[in-house]
Amino acid sequence: MRAPWYLVTLRYIAAIFVTAVFMFPVFWWGLTSIKPTRAIFNREQVVVFDFEPTLENYRVTVLGESPSLIESGASMGTGGENSFDGRETIFDSIVIAVGSTVLTIILAVGAAYALSRLTFRGSQLYLNWILSHRFLPPIAIIVPIVFMFRDLGLRDTHLGLILVHTLINLPIAVLLLKSFLDDVPKDVDQAAMIDGATRWQSFRLVVLPMIKGGIAATAVLCFVFSWTEFILSLFLTSEIRTLPVKITTFVTSTGSEWGYISALGTSAMLPAFIFILLVQRHLVRGLTMGAIKD
Amino acid sequence: MTETTITSTGPQQPRKLWTMPRWLTSEHPFPWVFPTTATLIVFGLYPILYAVWLSLHRRHPVTRENQFNPEWNWSRVFADERVWDAIAVTYMYTSVAIVIQLALGLAIALLLDSERRGFGLMRALMTLPLVVPPAVTGMMFLLMYNNSFGVISRSLQHIGLMGTDTPLLATGSTALWAIMVADTWQWTPFMVLIMLAGLRALPKDPFEAAAIDGANAWQAFTRLTLPMLSKIIAIAVLIRGIDLFRVYDYVKVMTDGGPGTATETLTAYAGKIYFGSANFPYASAVAILTLVLVIITANIFIKVFKVRF
Repeated sequence: MRAPWYLVTLRYIAAIFVTAVFMFPVFWWGLTSIKPTRAIFNREQVVVFDFEPTLENYRVTVLGESPSLIESGASMGTGGENSFDGRETIFDSIVIAVGSTVLTIILAVGAAYALSRLTFRGSQLYLNWILSHRFLPPIAIIVPIVFMFRDLGLRDTHLGLILVHTLINLPIAVLLLKSFLDDVPKDVDQAAMIDGATRWQSFRLVVLPMIKGGIAATAVLCFVFSWTEFILSLFLTSEIRTLPVKITTFVTSTGSEWGYISALGTSAMLPAFIFILLVQRHLVRGLTMGAIKD
Repeated sequence: MTETTITSTGPQQPRKLWTMPRWLTSEHPFPWVFPTTATLIVFGLYPILYAVWLSLHRRHPVTRENQFNPEWNWSRVFADERVWDAIAVTYMYTSVAIVIQLALGLAIALLLDSERRGFGLMRALMTLPLVVPPAVTGMMFLLMYNNSFGVISRSLQHIGLMGTDTPLLATGSTALWAIMVADTWQWTPFMVLIMLAGLRALPKDPFEAAAIDGANAWQAFTRLTLPMLSKIIAIAVLIRGIDLFRVYDYVKVMTDGGPGTATETLTAYAGKIYFGSANFPYASAVAILTLVLVIITANIFIKVFKVRF
């Protein structure tokens, strides 16, 4: 049964339209980042393509160059430090996202293995307990964590944010890794153990290499979640700033520097875009914590 | 289970003076689960219990010391009209957004579920909103909603759907919906992806049988596709629903609860108490209330729709 040509055409038009609608905000954001300030703030009309593209916004935010006087708006102080320099923020974000990803995987893989391979009393309950952390409103733990970090000297440190992002990522990583481990037949590691390997050896030498792809996919998702996390970073830091928090500080009462905001925002999206395209295959499984396999 | 007996057939280890207690060996779950459990207790369970404990204290208005007074905050929470407003806003936001996102997600999934040229690319492009940091999404829409140079507001003004004196985010009747548009833009792709996975996994036979029996596309959709997708839909709605209930980033970035308290969700209100008056015991009480409502609502949903991970 073949669909008639006009239905196929209609479907193409509808699909392209929907995709275009969903691409538009990102497109507009990227476009804004290469507009000169005059074009962004044009009150007479919304400027679409009628401007001279400039990389000024990227030079200021990503490379940390001082804004040229002509381009900077009236709200900018002249001279002094470039408060739109995003280099430190990018560094902080990378350290925190990579750190929490590595820590999450190391911690989670053990629990995932136990849940997949060992039977113990209350394992379903334990699984649910881990899962429940995924749904915890961060606001409920912020005040105690602020106190705790103050006492431990973890406020405004990379380690502090790495630890809380690990908390956020752990439930996702455990469930996801468990689902990848469940895909490996139990016969495989049992064969190794019959041959005399301890459980630890069969895990390290046989099972672990078989779930490399799953670990990579889990790691990418953890990285993206840490990279995009906002509320905990906002409350727990004032000196160290991750990208999402830093970008929101560019909105001020005297006027928002949309050029700089969109340039840093675009830079913040790019790595996540690239990473997520690498794990397209496991995305559904990752977003549903292994509940749905694509 | 059989695992334990199998390993005992391994080669005999030479006798040691001290043998590891069994619960420290890799045969026992303890060493496997300990790191994760410890982290979740220290950074999850302990802070929650601490927040509950804190909510049972009264902050002295002058000395700012916390005195044990279990009724103080909780009687205040239930008498606080802003709390009731926030509960109403949160439930309204969650329920409307979940319906829109699910319906759009399902429709777009059906639309994009094709093997024709270009559809694979379009499906890949649809995933991109998912990785934009939600705070940045808020900023994107803040820019597009700007009343004097934002592309959405100016277009709406141009075609006469919106007056220039009613900025989208500063007008009580539109602000919450404007935030919901940003949320929907970001998370409808989540629904699309899950529904696509569900559609792919459907067996072909029932549809062929239905076609032979003369069922039309709508009948096939309502009688076959929807019932067979129900388990997946339930999981998707649960995950998305809880995230909607906890919404913070968009509200904080786009309106900070305003105008007035029109977009003040529970988390936004708790955050405001925290940043505004620094009354930590009261902020904790509102936050714990949020947590309790999440647990109750999610569990009702799980019971009714029999969701299982």
